[in-house]
Amino acid sequence: MEIAVLVKPVPDAETRLRPDAGGSGLDPEGVKWVLAGYDESAVEQALLLKESIPGTSVRAISYGPLARAEEVLRFAIALGCDAATSVEQPAGAPDDPLVTAAALHLALSKRAVALVLCGKQAGDDETGLVGPALAEMLGIAEYGVAVNVRWDAASSALTLQQSVEGGLVRVRASLPAVVALQQAWNDPRTAKLPNILKSRKAAIERMPASEVSSAIATVQALAARRLAFRLPPPRTGAKMIEYKSPEEAAERLVRILREEAKVFP
Amino acid sequence: MTGALALLERTAGGVTSASREAVGVARTVADGGAVVGLLVGPGGTGPASGIPVDRLFTVEGPGLTDPSTAQYAALLSHAATQLGVARIVVPGTARGRDVVGRLAVRWAASAATGVTDVTLGEGGSLRITRPVFGGRASETLELPGPRQVFAPKPHAFSEPSAAAAPAPSETIALPDGFDKLPTRGAEGFEPTAGSKGPELGEASIVVSGGRGLRTPESFRLVEDLAESLGAAVGASRAVTDAGWRPSSYQVGQTGRSVSPQLYIAVGISGAIQHIVGMVSARVIVAINSDPQAPIFKVADYGVVGDLFPIVPALTKEIRKQRGLPAGPTGSGPG
Ligand SMILES: Cc1cc2nc3c(=O)[nH]c(=O)nc-3n(C[C@H](O)[C@H](O)[C@H](O)COP(=O)(O)OP(=O)(O)OC[C@H]3O[C@@H](n4cnc5c(N)ncnc54)[C@H](O)[C@@H]3O)c2cc1C
Repeated sequence: MEIAVLVKPVPDAETRLRPDAGGSGLDPEGVKWVLAGYDESAVEQALLLKESIPGTSVRAISYGPLARAEEVLRFAIALGCDAATSVEQPAGAPDDPLVTAAALHLALSKRAVALVLCGKQAGDDETGLVGPALAEMLGIAEYGVAVNVRWDAASSALTLQQSVEGGLVRVRASLPAVVALQQAWNDPRTAKLPNILKSRKAAIERMPASEVSSAIATVQALAARRLAFRLPPPRTGAKMIEYKSPEEAAERLVRILREEAKVFP
Repeated sequence: MTGALALLERTAGGVTSASREAVGVARTVADGGAVVGLLVGPGGTGPASGIPVDRLFTVEGPGLTDPSTAQYAALLSHAATQLGVARIVVPGTARGRDVVGRLAVRWAASAATGVTDVTLGEGGSLRITRPVFGGRASETLELPGPRQVFAPKPHAFSEPSAAAAPAPSETIALPDGFDKLPTRGAEGFEPTAGSKGPELGEASIVVSGGRGLRTPESFRLVEDLAESLGAAVGASRAVTDAGWRPSSYQVGQTGRSVSPQLYIAVGISGAIQHIVGMVSARVIVAINSDPQAPIFKVADYGVVGDLFPIVPALTKEIRKQRGLPAGPTGSGPG
């Protein structure tokens, strides 16, 4: 079976966030782009399934500015993905999850993919909308916040659990499907140096911006317009409770929660 | 076009608090028009009693006890078209967010999740604000008309007060082609082990414990504190990795993101991967013996000291203040 795994380049967690000159987005100056955290789990899950289902191949697909997308695709190859497709973001195309889904749909509609894996959300805009929007475009099932995705060889079925309010729902997935990962059953593997070197030369299939432009033309009218990007006022540090005994610490804290913070139930 | 539709998501005996918040937000974006609730599944209007909507749509049918996100999206777009409303508010639960994604495509609407503020914009647009980068920044977006669907962030909006009288209700028919949609495929449910209190993502108070608790047994101190407050219990990854508590407790980058009114971190150092999962809490309290612990940089209130006497004293004080019987096992000093 063919598995596709969607990978998004996001700013490295250590990035110092700053608004750009227009004040409406993140200043990309000096940002290091890396594979989004939950997408790393999706890649790990794809590779685990590949190892447990004979004849399975994994293709990583990324949408974004070419250089950024190809950077994370090479990383996915270094981790063990068999092939990669970069879907080039046309200059000026809005950053919006519905537009992203339409662009990825273009890449997926050309192949017979049984399973599309992605992270449940990316650590930058955290919308969590790309997976479900893409599933609706493909007209297939989608399973969000998935953990413990397994292949049951005896019944040739994919089983998983969804982490929902109050517990875990056990699901027998109907394929084809989009599965958005909360966690793979392993911590994501690290890439070995020889594979990193090899991935530098790997061939990446490209979907040029010209083709993508027409695929996203309609949905672009739905894209949100960015008005402002703001940093919260810096937290001034905690107000420390002074006390002489644990009982006094408790009394003071409760009083503050009730009278000052107004959060005492 | 005025009015708004809100999805009511069922839970045992009623609807989720996220659904009530969605109804409150629907009032804001209805622009003076009617707020209509959609309740899916068996049991008539019962679960929606007290929910302050102007009209209630119900829909029943095979498999609708636990609909798939595709079915929810189809029902919402069908109901909205029938009503002629241009705005749909979906509860900010994990499943609600998936419904937003599908519905945006099906109903050709602009979409957003994690919304913490919304106002009416020009020309039928909405202006929304939402946290990004784990609460380290926020963005304001304009969602263009004519149709919008969005999910509020849990606890960002208060619940509206209950309605005195039930709203007029009607049952709507299933849309064409409904039987061809993917179904839920759920085969069972395992409640989070040991959790008696509210669910982590829904709770308005979360008490989390870290490696500072030292043993799985003494993690009970955190659970007792949570119980005294009616709070949900969370944990750092140090705790879940060590197997003291299941991974469903984990708060942070690779666990759950929570945004309660109050977050109490006990014996948690405040690594960035933990912070991103809780920094958008309204009030943060940290209890830690190390005055240099990074958690104090994001906390509003700090108690520097040994958690072992402090936490039981706090539990005791809270139980006293709330008029609860003196604590269960584990609380009380010593
Ligand atoms: C890719 C990646 C993803 C990660 N994701 C997550 C995540 O989602 N969530 C998460 O939590 N972590 C995550 N981590 C781990 C994170 O980096 C930290 O290691 C972890 O949060 C530490 O947990 P802790 O604060 O409980 O433990 P520690 O850092 O060991 O802190 C224990 C604290 O307890 C205090 N203490 C000790 N004894 C007492 C006492 N008697 N009284 C009071 N205080 C006391 C200490 O002063 C210390 O500050 C991730 C790490 C990586 C690399």
